[in-house]
Amino acid sequence: MRRIMVFGTVTLACAMALTSCAAGGSSTGQAAGKKGDVTLTFLTFETPNLNAAYWDAAIARASAKVPGVTIKKLVAPTADRTAYAKQLDASGQLPNIMIAVDSAGFAQAGKLVPWSDAQLKDFVSPQSNPINGRIYQLPYNTQPTPLVYYNKADFAAADITAPPTTYAQLLADSAALKAKGMNPFVVGGGGADTWADMYPLIAAVGTDVYAENPQWLADRSAGKVTFADPAFTKAVSKIAALTSAGYVDKAGLSRSYADDEQAFRDNKGAMYPMGSWFAASADAKKPSFDMGVFAWPSDDGRLVVPAYTGGGMSVSSTSPDTALAQKWALAFMEDKQNLDASVKSDGSIIAIKGYTPPTTMGPVYKATVDIYEKAVAANGIVNAFSIETGDGALPPGMSATTATGVQDLMTGRKTAAQFSSFLDTEWAKAKQ
Amino acid sequence: MTSNLDAARARRSRLGATARRLGTFSAFGAPGLVLYTTFVLVPVALTIYYSLTNQNPFNPPTRFVGLANYIRLASDDDFLRALRNTALVTGIIVVTANLGGLLIALLLDRRGWLYNALRSVFFTPVVLSSVVVSVIWRAILTDDGLLNSMLRSLGVTHPPGWLSDPNLALFTLAWILTWQMVGFCVVVYLAGLQGVPVELHEAASIDGAHGLARFRHVTWPMLAPALTINTVMLLITGFKVYDQVQVITNGGPGNGTTSTIAFQVVQTAFSGNHVGYASAMATVMLLLVASVSVIVLRVLQRREVSM
Repeated sequence: MRRIMVFGTVTLACAMALTSCAAGGSSTGQAAGKKGDVTLTFLTFETPNLNAAYWDAAIARASAKVPGVTIKKLVAPTADRTAYAKQLDASGQLPNIMIAVDSAGFAQAGKLVPWSDAQLKDFVSPQSNPINGRIYQLPYNTQPTPLVYYNKADFAAADITAPPTTYAQLLADSAALKAKGMNPFVVGGGGADTWADMYPLIAAVGTDVYAENPQWLADRSAGKVTFADPAFTKAVSKIAALTSAGYVDKAGLSRSYADDEQAFRDNKGAMYPMGSWFAASADAKKPSFDMGVFAWPSDDGRLVVPAYTGGGMSVSSTSPDTALAQKWALAFMEDKQNLDASVKSDGSIIAIKGYTPPTTMGPVYKATVDIYEKAVAANGIVNAFSIETGDGALPPGMSATTATGVQDLMTGRKTAAQFSSFLDTEWAKAKQ
Repeated sequence: MTSNLDAARARRSRLGATARRLGTFSAFGAPGLVLYTTFVLVPVALTIYYSLTNQNPFNPPTRFVGLANYIRLASDDDFLRALRNTALVTGIIVVTANLGGLLIALLLDRRGWLYNALRSVFFTPVVLSSVVVSVIWRAILTDDGLLNSMLRSLGVTHPPGWLSDPNLALFTLAWILTWQMVGFCVVVYLAGLQGVPVELHEAASIDGAHGLARFRHVTWPMLAPALTINTVMLLITGFKVYDQVQVITNGGPGNGTTSTIAFQVVQTAFSGNHVGYASAMATVMLLLVASVSVIVLRVLQRREVSM
């Protein structure tokens, strides 16, 4: 009897241990839109700006334009919707339509339907993020990632009369703010929101690496450069120096993304490097201070803005009706009200021909667009490191690994050189 | 002749009874067996099979690679760190939850509505979803969360970074797991305490044993089965911890400071797409849990007999 008990207990233990590793995550689904003949699943994600009400209303508008479709909304449990899509795919449940999911891997494996030139004719940058020459994600908006949002009152209190235009000025301003007892930067994201720690590094790589060599990541892929090269390590050392000088509040490492945004609103720091989507939120929920925005400064003062154009819909090749799914996805993306809602909720800079944003947009959004347009005019737009998709992207899983490495930089567990070397090692592992 | 017929009849009757018992057993056992095979044994077998391949759903074709994944594991820093973290967290919760559970059970081993209510209070974390528990603790333990706000109001100018300090975060996780599991230990120890015959206590009292001596020589030996159950369950909980890591720290702060084997498996499979390699990790985890459970069970059961 005892042997049977031992065997039973051990078997149960093994089963619990192993089955606990199975892909979990029941989808938070709900039906939206009106009843139709074909039911399509649609993977979204929610943030403080893009909440459930935003998605439900947008789904309903698109469904009204495409009869015969019932949409079942799925919500990724974290902002990492690509990882969630992979989990769903592993259990044979890849959603029929997905928004802002990295196409890399899915496309090469034939799991996505490419968009045709005719379908892309209204998009400003129809060839953004190609995979083997084809487009799998609608390039519907551009997001400067990051810009630096700042508290004008804090700057004034530290006798800073204008936002910095060179990196040396940024350091001087940070020192001035710190001398006045203010925390210069709010940077952070802990737990599932570790990705939010990345923005200062994305900015520094933009100004120091991509501005000099826009094809740098493609060169890395071809083995022509490494992360340990001086140019990349110099960019990393800027972030290490900012944290070791005490200009970045390490409390951010434990905050969620939403809490970090709130920390900036609550004046727990003077500058907040963040994607352009923050502009809409800043205008909609005005903090107690006036807010400005500037581009992360380069050493020589040249205007450089990392940006990503994409973020739209992808359609699974296993959808019950791929043509209808693409039609619905396009209807969603090109609907004026949906685009307006995206601009108002997420600060999108829409990359669809003929679109003009609502005239009621607030000053922070307008200032954000102004910087972007100046950078376009100055030929200063570069890729946003780690945000890239398509052929020139980091290998799968490396964005998340890089974000954890940034945390090591911020806590002092890695030097700039160690961080660069770490990325080279992780690259090799990811490619195995 | 008659006795031969009787014997044959009896044999047939016995066979019939055995067949009926077998039929009844099959009728009741088959659904469970089918479910267990489908949802446990087949996935386990598939995992072991995948571990011998280079399966990557985004990079076909899948090839048989023999033990290459296992050989690679032996020198994979990320996996070895996850293994160390898992062992440390498991060790901490086995000791602290057992100790805490025993102390609380001893305090609650009394009659009265207050003690009944307190038993429910201590058991509540066990039935809560680990994600809910994680979200609550996260709100408490962030650098500007409830705990540090309270510490600051008490004059602590630089309270610890419970989740942001890489040297502390793993212990914070272990504390949260202990908090969630201690109620389970309390209930098991209480059941054990209530099973100790009153006569033994009376006999010990007559022999002059009081307080600590009575606990050591009467109560503690009688709690041996409860210790076995708690230890094995805590071992399993510790080895498979995933939810809390995912929600509270995402394996950080930094690279892998709080990653556990289960977390590493999910990351490797669904972020890096290396399903074959992740399956090898899961298989190692299976072997670890199995072997540690067997050893602990054997040792503790031997101890039960010797006591």
